[in-house]
Amino acid sequence: MRVLVCVKRVPDTGARFELTPDGRDIDTRNLEFTISPHEECAVEEAIRLVEQHGGESAVLTLGPEAAAEQLREALAKGIDKGVLLETDGSEWDPAATAQAIAQAVRELESADGPFDLVLFGNESADAGYYQVGVRVADALDRPCVAGVKGLKVENGKAQARREASGGWEIYELPLPCVVTVKEGINVPRHPSLRGIMTAKKKEIRRLTPEKPAMQLVKKGLRKPPERGGECEILGEGVAAVPKAVEKLKEIGVI
Amino acid sequence: MSEFQGVDYYGLDELLTEEQKQIRKTVRAWVNERVMPIIADCFERGRFPDELVPEMAELGFFGANLKGYGCAGVDNIAYGLMMQELERGDSGLRSMASVQGSLVMYPIYTFGSEEQKQKYLPALARGELVGCFGLTEPEHGSDPGGMETTAVDAGDHYVLNGTKTWITNADVADVAVVWAKLDGVVHGFIVEKGTPGFSAAPIEGKFSMRASHTGELYLNDCKIPKENRLPEAVGLRAPLMCLNQARYGIAWGVVGAAMACYEEALQYCRERRQFGKPIASFQLVQEKLVDMLTEITKAQLLCFRLGQLKDQGKVRHTQISLAKRNNCRIALEVARKARDLLGGNGITLDYQAIRHMTNLETVYTYEGTDHIHTLIVGHDITGIEAYR
Repeated sequence: MRVLVCVKRVPDTGARFELTPDGRDIDTRNLEFTISPHEECAVEEAIRLVEQHGGESAVLTLGPEAAAEQLREALAKGIDKGVLLETDGSEWDPAATAQAIAQAVRELESADGPFDLVLFGNESADAGYYQVGVRVADALDRPCVAGVKGLKVENGKAQARREASGGWEIYELPLPCVVTVKEGINVPRHPSLRGIMTAKKKEIRRLTPEKPAMQLVKKGLRKPPERGGECEILGEGVAAVPKAVEKLKEIGVI
Repeated sequence: MSEFQGVDYYGLDELLTEEQKQIRKTVRAWVNERVMPIIADCFERGRFPDELVPEMAELGFFGANLKGYGCAGVDNIAYGLMMQELERGDSGLRSMASVQGSLVMYPIYTFGSEEQKQKYLPALARGELVGCFGLTEPEHGSDPGGMETTAVDAGDHYVLNGTKTWITNADVADVAVVWAKLDGVVHGFIVEKGTPGFSAAPIEGKFSMRASHTGELYLNDCKIPKENRLPEAVGLRAPLMCLNQARYGIAWGVVGAAMACYEEALQYCRERRQFGKPIASFQLVQEKLVDMLTEITKAQLLCFRLGQLKDQGKVRHTQISLAKRNNCRIALEVARKARDLLGGNGITLDYQAIRHMTNLETVYTYEGTDHIHTLIVGHDITGIEAYR
C-alpha cells in the first residue's frame, strides 16, 4: 500500500518564547523546530502500516527550504520519500495550504500511482486551525475521519476508531481515504543512528506551488502572562499533612 | 528536575551538522525516557539495566562509528555526542557502549579476518552478543606489557592461561577479546562463553560504577580454535589502539556527566533559599557555578577539535590522552562542586551529583590513570619516558 503523511514545521516552544516586534508571530530566532505531536504519531502510523502491509510511504510538507529538516527526521524514522512544497516562508492560510497539498497529491499520484491513505495530524501545534486535512479530503473528494486514535487496514478498507466519552466510535472507510490522527494512537519511535545516516541519501522531491490570495489574515498574537514560580511551604513532617490534604482537595485530586 | 537542556555557552551547536544534532536528539530523548526514571534505583541496587541493551542496539549505539556489518557509520563528532548523552545518564551506560563498540567490535573490525567480522560484528551491533575486553590483570594495570596471561600453540588449537580483572561486562559477556602472550608477543584472541576452562565472576562491593557489570575472567587451560586468533593484532600496539578509541569516547562522555551535574546544581541554587534569598545570590556560590561552566566549555572545545582531527585521520594518541586526562579531571571537579552546592541533598540519590561523582572516580582511573596520561603527554613533549 502507498501512504502519504503530511506534516508542518513548527517552532518548538517547549520552554519560553518571545513575539516578533510587530506582535504577529513568534520570534523563532533562538528556537528549535519540530513537528506537532499528532503529526509525530501520523508519521509513526505511516511507517507501521507499510511495515505491516508492504508498499511505500512518503512525507510531505509545505514550507521554506529549512522544513527539509523535518522531512529528514521522518525519513530517518523510516519513511521512504520526501516531498517539499517550497514557499518563501510567509504564512499560508488553511485554504491555501490545502489547495496546494491537494494539487501536489494529484501530481504525485499521476506520476507514481494513487495513495491508499493520506494521513495528517489532527491539528498543527502552532496555528491549530483543524482544517487542512479535512479540506484536502474535500478537494480530492475522498472520505475523511478526523481525531482518530486507532487505525487498521484490512481487505482493502480502513477501519478508524475515535475516542468517545467512555467508549469508541468505529468507522469503516473505502480506500483511498484521508485520516487525521491524534496523539495516543501509538508511541512514536526515535530515529536510529542508522536511520539518520540513511535519510541523507533518500530523495526529497521539490515542487513550487503558486500562492493564492489569502482569505484568512492573522492580525496578532498575545502572550499569556508568565506564571510565577512561587512556592508555599505547608509545614514539615506530619504537621504538614492536614494542609496538604486540604490543598489536594482544593485542586480536585482527592 | 526539569528535562536536560544541555550546556552550550559558546554556541558550539552552530558548528554541528543536522545529522550530528539529530543523533544527539535521539540519544538525549532516549536517555530521558528510558534511563532517567530508573537509573538511581539501578545504582542503589548495583544493577546494570540489561533490559535496555536491545533498545540501545536497535537505535544503533553499538559500534556506531564503524562502517558496514550493520553499524551506523556515523562521524566521530556524532559518536562523541552519543557518548556524551549516554554518560549524562550514567557512566555505566556509556561504559557498556564503549566496551561493546571500541574494545570488542573495533578490534575485530580492525584486526580480525573477514570470517571473524562476518561472524561477530553484526550480532554485536544487534546486541544479540555482548562483549568484553580482557587486558588488565591483577598484577598488571598501568603496565599491560608485563601481562602474565599466556597462549600456547598446541597444533590445531591454542591453550590460554591467566586471569584478567576489572573487566566491564565480564560476567554477562558472550564473547571476550582476550590479550595474551604467544611466544612472548602480545596477541588478541576471541574467547566465547562456554568454552571449557573459561569462566567469569563479578566484583562485589563497588562504591562507584554501581550500574555496570564489572568482573574477572579466568582462563585455565582454555582451549580455543586456531581461527579465533585476531590475525592482524600483533604486539602491545593493538590493545593500545583499542584503548585510544575508548579514551576518545570517554573524553566526550565525562563532559555529559559534568553537564548533568552543572545543570542540576544551577537549577538547585536558583530555587533553594537561605537567608531569605536564593543561594545563587551569594558570591561564593556564583563563583563555583562559573568555574563549573568555564571548565565544561573548555572541555567541549577540546572534544570538538579532537573529533575533527579524528575524522581527518590526523589525531595523535597523545592528543587523546590530553583530552581524557583533562576532561576526567574537570568532570570529577564539577561533580564535587555540584555535590557541595546541593548541601545535604547532594548526598542522596534523589539528585544526580553523588552518583556521577562516585562514577567519575572510576572513569578518572580506568582506561589509563590520570598519572599515566600525564606521563604519555610528558613523554611526547620532552622526549623522555618517565614511566620506564
